[in-house]
Amino acid sequence: MGNNKYKVLIIEDEANIRSFIGAILESNGYQVLMGATCAQGRMMFSSHCPDLVLLDLGLPDADGTAFIRTVREAGGGAPILVLSARSDERDKIEALDLGANDYITKPFGTGELLARVRAALRDRRPGPATPGEQFKVRGLCIDYDDRAVTLDGAPVRLTQTEYNIVALLAQHAGKVMTYSAIIQGVWGTADAGSVKKLQVNMANIRKKLGARPGENPYIANELGVGYRMYGE
Amino acid sequence: MSATHGVLRDTARTVLILAAALAGCWWLQQAAPSQALVPAVFVLAVDLVALVTEGYAYGIAASLISVLAVNYVFTAPYFVFSLTVPENILSTVIMLAVTIITSTLTTQRKRQDQIRSETARESMRANLLRAISHDLRTPLTTIYGSCSAIIENYDRIPKAQQIKLLGEVREEADWLIRMVENLLSVTRIDGGKVRIVKTPTVLEELIDSVLIKFRKRYPGQAVQVEIPEDFLIIPMDAVLIEQVIINLLENAVQHAEGMTQLWLRVRCKESKAVFEVADNGCGIPRDRLDSLFDGRMDGADGHKNMGIGLSVCATIIRAHGGAITGENDPGGGAVFRFTLALDPAEDPQPEPR
Repeated sequence: MGNNKYKVLIIEDEANIRSFIGAILESNGYQVLMGATCAQGRMMFSSHCPDLVLLDLGLPDADGTAFIRTVREAGGGAPILVLSARSDERDKIEALDLGANDYITKPFGTGELLARVRAALRDRRPGPATPGEQFKVRGLCIDYDDRAVTLDGAPVRLTQTEYNIVALLAQHAGKVMTYSAIIQGVWGTADAGSVKKLQVNMANIRKKLGARPGENPYIANELGVGYRMYGE
Repeated sequence: MSATHGVLRDTARTVLILAAALAGCWWLQQAAPSQALVPAVFVLAVDLVALVTEGYAYGIAASLISVLAVNYVFTAPYFVFSLTVPENILSTVIMLAVTIITSTLTTQRKRQDQIRSETARESMRANLLRAISHDLRTPLTTIYGSCSAIIENYDRIPKAQQIKLLGEVREEADWLIRMVENLLSVTRIDGGKVRIVKTPTVLEELIDSVLIKFRKRYPGQAVQVEIPEDFLIIPMDAVLIEQVIINLLENAVQHAEGMTQLWLRVRCKESKAVFEVADNGCGIPRDRLDSLFDGRMDGADGHKNMGIGLSVCATIIRAHGGAITGENDPGGGAVFRFTLALDPAEDPQPEPR
């Protein structure tokens, strides 16, 4: 039994936070490894090959982003979930653009943590859609072959650009895509007006998907950071 | 402002005012020759100089110049400095005394005003600190007490009661988190040294994010949203403005007794976005209307006091160059309103300390 548990590495310098996250994960069937510093984290990562990393950015010996950089440069593909304090958007964006999969803002509840962990583990095979693949979440269905989107069975008329954005978010469902990552993926190049262009397109997409403020069932706004398609 | 700039400015003002007085007297002299008016005009000029310049020096210099000018130009014998006529000497001395006294008094009054406003700021800070300490102690007492009770009597307290105690601990911790977030926001802008970094924020996304966070805390409370249909981008520090709106909504939930409806409205008026949080509850007590935003604490109200929340709102909005008001709706309930400039070029002036 013990072998097919997901291994989660927690890198966090606060012992109390480590201990309660560990308790939550263990009681939900994950195998937990812990590191208190960036160096320990690197060591644990290379010797245990965890399936997922929970990473605090403010570590005593080095910035957490240094860990992301080392892991990604070495070709490590394990999802990294950043534990961040509120209001440092710039750090979040930097971590995401370096290859972190998601972030979770401290303080967080058990439910939120477990949902993010599940989403990150599911998101382990990103990349171009395979033929015949469909994306489905509740009433929303995206057919990648036909480039068609339906909502509760009814077709949704999206422009080329709008479709590209929706498809990109869907391929990374559960993961926050930063503005710059989406712009890169959809337009290829960025200029000064890109973010506004993206925001205008997103406003149209929301309208077409029937979203209202506070009731946005498919695409979440991460204010100042980017967008996330819900994976469940 | 550099010191040289200040000196130049004050000298220019002094010269201008004295020149105007001189020209005025000259003109009066031509129109209606009267000796009585001249000293009065110069006393007024010196008083003005003392008002618009820093320190005593300009006022006293202006009064000396005035005395000489009156003596030279307007007193017989004309265009001669004459201190031989006894009444000239006496009038010169009197005028010098009057002008020096007025300029000194004006300067003193300005200094006192400055001291008074510094004292007011200090006492506001002290009030805020007192309110914070009080507000932090209450939930900490609950958290510490409940946890100790459970750890020390683990086998004796029934499970249901333990869960109830732990639930209260979580509730209090949750409250503390929000409190600390508020304080963090203030430190982020306090001092006027740190300029707010405004980024273009899509109104709809802001409101969406606010509602999701608010619903997490108050799942039972519906909010009626009325915002413009158009795509609207407002420059702001979104994290801080989000907090302002949540604080205002939360304030309504906690204080508007008898509330059945809660509105969040945004509209554009001239070059401003007007945000409004309104309820149909009991309204704001009249004696609190004047001090809503100054962080005063509310006596025995325990930690439900949102004085800090509102003063944080005011700090954030002012740092954005906007305005915030709270009043009672004649139709019942309270309305909190704040404005933000729509034009990114309209940069806020940081609050002077």
